[in-house]
Amino acid sequence: MATDSDRGGRLALPVVLVLVAGCALPLAVLFVFSFFQVDFVAILKVPTLKNYIKVASSPTYRSLIGQAIASGLTVAAISAVIGYPLAWVIAKRVHFMKSACLTLLLIPLYTGDLVRIFAWRVVLGAEGVINAFLMWAGLVREPIRALLFSPFATHVVLTYDYLPFMVLGLWLAFESLDDHLLEAARDLGASEATIFRRIVLPLTSPGLIAGGMMVFVLVVGDYLTPQLIGGSSGVTVISAINDLFGTAFDWPLGSAIASSLLLILGVLIAAAALVVGRSTWGRAVVGGE
Amino acid sequence: MTFEMRRRELLKSVLAGAALSAVGPLRGVAQAAGETVAWLTWENLAKDDYLAALVEKTGIKIEKSFIGSDDEQFAKLRAGGASSVDLITPGLDKVEFYVASNLLQPLDLAKIPNAAKLYDTFKTTKLGKKDGKTYGIPFYWGINPIVYRADLMDAEPDWSVFFEGEKYKGKLAMRDYALEGIMIAAMYLGIPKDKMFDLGDKELAEVKKALIAQKKLLRTYWTSIGDLTNLYASGEVVCAFSWVPPYYDLTARGLKMGMAKPKAGVIGWCDTIAIPAGVTGAKLDATLKVVDYLLGPDYGKKLAFGGPYAQSTSATRDALPVDQQEKIFIKDLSVMDSFVWKANPPRYTEWVALWNEVKAS
Repeated sequence: MATDSDRGGRLALPVVLVLVAGCALPLAVLFVFSFFQVDFVAILKVPTLKNYIKVASSPTYRSLIGQAIASGLTVAAISAVIGYPLAWVIAKRVHFMKSACLTLLLIPLYTGDLVRIFAWRVVLGAEGVINAFLMWAGLVREPIRALLFSPFATHVVLTYDYLPFMVLGLWLAFESLDDHLLEAARDLGASEATIFRRIVLPLTSPGLIAGGMMVFVLVVGDYLTPQLIGGSSGVTVISAINDLFGTAFDWPLGSAIASSLLLILGVLIAAAALVVGRSTWGRAVVGGE
Repeated sequence: MTFEMRRRELLKSVLAGAALSAVGPLRGVAQAAGETVAWLTWENLAKDDYLAALVEKTGIKIEKSFIGSDDEQFAKLRAGGASSVDLITPGLDKVEFYVASNLLQPLDLAKIPNAAKLYDTFKTTKLGKKDGKTYGIPFYWGINPIVYRADLMDAEPDWSVFFEGEKYKGKLAMRDYALEGIMIAAMYLGIPKDKMFDLGDKELAEVKKALIAQKKLLRTYWTSIGDLTNLYASGEVVCAFSWVPPYYDLTARGLKMGMAKPKAGVIGWCDTIAIPAGVTGAKLDATLKVVDYLLGPDYGKKLAFGGPYAQSTSATRDALPVDQQEKIFIKDLSVMDSFVWKANPPRYTEWVALWNEVKAS
């Protein structure tokens, strides 16, 4: 007679198979290709570390990987600063039309990348809304061209694009935060700062971490926004990988850069988990202590 | 009686034979009719009205699928997609990729009568061929010039506008494509056409230096022609290495546009049509008929007005008005002598690496 555990195992099998076939297998193929070489259009399946040596010794690829991580961290941090109070307002202060607020938050995601990018061009462009206003108000004589096609513009649009992912995670965390805990803390004489530091932040940190990771990973993988908004400085490690897979037909080197990026992201996330796990509030979050 | 019967049968046979001979030329049509040819191509080349005459005359159906770039097409075929298409549209410079990967079959030019009308440039080119056999037959071509806002620039620019001076700093754009980016730098530096695709370390270092200087002058690197058209229209960009369509699109919308063809050289491009190795039998016959149609006058006329692009054959040239010939650069064919046709550099991986280094600088 099958136990519940056996039945559970059998039911989980399709999910495991989908994960292996759809996620692990392509990554494994990518990893294997990173040890090959290319000769014109032939892939030479003789294992070598040359591609990894090329990645490690190239200031360009190293710098592009560094830039991607820095952009991911920056946008995740900005999203957290904006998203935290926003999620709190929606969860704790909006009593009517809460669903409408959440829908409003998600509307940008319904429109697709390109629509959002071109909308931002209308806002930030030399003849765009902001420049037109500044000139109309007499604040500037010439349009500020750095508003568009600059790293600044890229980070503004990336933050706009991925803010909903941060807010959703935080909103769920705030919804499950029991207000009685805050009342009890106040009754016991805790200041608002102490309540935030000792209760609110630890209990909402799962949402903060989940949202932050989501934003970080999405920003690192986004190359369309930097390409179309970042101007001549809009090159990313992903667009470099794209060039190698497409134009140059150097799949092995492209695979090596992609694998290196994945490895670095994995190490960063593991290190972050380790640091969080060692902190008091981290243990409280993870272990329920 | 017996004799009469035989005579009748003989007469029937003769009549039937004569009738068959009379409809002989239609036999191919009958065989091809009902065949479906799957064509992987650019969206603007397979409009229904371009292909209407083919469908009407032969009964062949065209199943279209579209590419976003030549690289994407090659990657699709390399990854095993060749069995799902009967006709593809590789760039003339890219055909050798496909041939080296054993993805194409040599074309039987005897079954493509319109191939005899190819312009000399395309007849004699070594590109698209291997061991004397044609694998990719030149199909249509054009140039990638400098397109600029004539209302916002003082004079017709040449390649130097992308490398020198501050006047248009932050208002210029270059295509995000290593091959053309490096070709333009090489033309600016005066490297001769015959050495352009075989640059040594010293030349590549000079090219890189020029491209880094260029980057400081650029507003952006463009990736789609629709995007570049918007950048011209909004005034973000006043001058760019471009394709031809923004010139006509924006002129039609009332903007004063200019098109410059620098004396140092203009990049010419040509796409071919090629048949994957696995296409055989009646499907191959039908596909060859499609190839012949695409090089013929009905299609050529549609392309000349609709594109506007020039076919690689003279099939429709004389039937076009002179201004249309001018528009698609076939009025004076000697203009082709100043073109630098794109080829595939042996050190292309290094070119791409250099291009990425420039963009990341």
